[in-house]
Amino acid sequence: MDDTIEDSLDYGAPTLVEGFAYVVAVEGETAWLEPEQTTSCGGCASASACGAKGIGTLAERLEARRFSIPHQDGLRVGERVVVGVSEKALVKASLTAYAIPLAVMLISGGVAQWAVGSDLATMAAMAGGLLLGLAGARLNAGRLNAHGELSPRYLRRADVAITCHF
Amino acid sequence: MKEYVLLMIGAALVNNVILARFLGLCSFMGVTTRIDTAVGMGMATTFVITVSSMGNWGVENFLLQPYGLGYLRTVTFILVIAAAVQFTEMTVKKISPPLFQMLGIYLPLITTNCAVLGVALLLVEGKMNFISSTLFAFSSALGFSLVMVIFAGLRERLALAEVPRLFAGPPIGFIVASLLALAFMGFSGMSTN
Repeated sequence: MDDTIEDSLDYGAPTLVEGFAYVVAVEGETAWLEPEQTTSCGGCASASACGAKGIGTLAERLEARRFSIPHQDGLRVGERVVVGVSEKALVKASLTAYAIPLAVMLISGGVAQWAVGSDLATMAAMAGGLLLGLAGARLNAGRLNAHGELSPRYLRRADVAITCHF
Repeated sequence: MKEYVLLMIGAALVNNVILARFLGLCSFMGVTTRIDTAVGMGMATTFVITVSSMGNWGVENFLLQPYGLGYLRTVTFILVIAAAVQFTEMTVKKISPPLFQMLGIYLPLITTNCAVLGVALLLVEGKMNFISSTLFAFSSALGFSLVMVIFAGLRERLALAEVPRLFAGPPIGFIVASLLALAFMGFSGMSTN
């Protein structure tokens, strides 16, 4: 049985990470969506369960993650839809946001340690490297965004009964 | 140079945060259902562990030790970690809103990840200088991410396998994790060579 499954899988095929979202507003050619709370790790649930209001609550967090897509398929407010981003986009986003600043920061710290050899100089160089890396991350994120690689895409309407497949 | 390389290999592979020290098991089991989410969580954790370890080193050496405030260590470290997570979240949101939409969900989870606090406390025990402690934290986090991605890959394959009903779900996940831990024990042989 395992052999059959192995042969039928194409690991090289492009895959989409799918998620559910609700249409919260439609403005002309643009539809605004809010991602549905996921339950795989309880991140949103823990933010809402902490009892704090305002910053960090579930509603605030979801609102902060609101995004827009071109209005199509006659979407209406309150509808539940399936959206997707490329699996590679998530990896690219992670590398942009975290790997670039970390790499620049560590290289700066290494050079400072080798050149000066004091803890304070290394700390200052790493702080500077971190800021420089964040600037680089911003540039790369802008480039990716300009190519549309970070934007979620509308895939289809979702039935109310369908749940997240995590 | 050689001591830094050995330090990094030791932190990432020999004394792996998850498989040797049993830290961060919540996210290890919770966020490893898919490789892409494991990569997202692993990278975010790597960033936060490294940045918070820098802050914790400064707090330990310039505040807690000189003023004899060691009994406040755990509380202070948690505060620094929460600040590092908040800083990361605000920065990602500022530099790119689309990035925040994709990665923002992982960040609040890191505040309560015991691996972050565990690495910070290990650094205090190690009494290392700044660059060594930062490299130790970075390597520990890389080891964490490596195991997360390997385990996510195994679980994706496991989802296609026929598992007896009694072992389906978390039980087979724990069995696979134990086999992975046994495999990583092989790295401990490196210390004798």
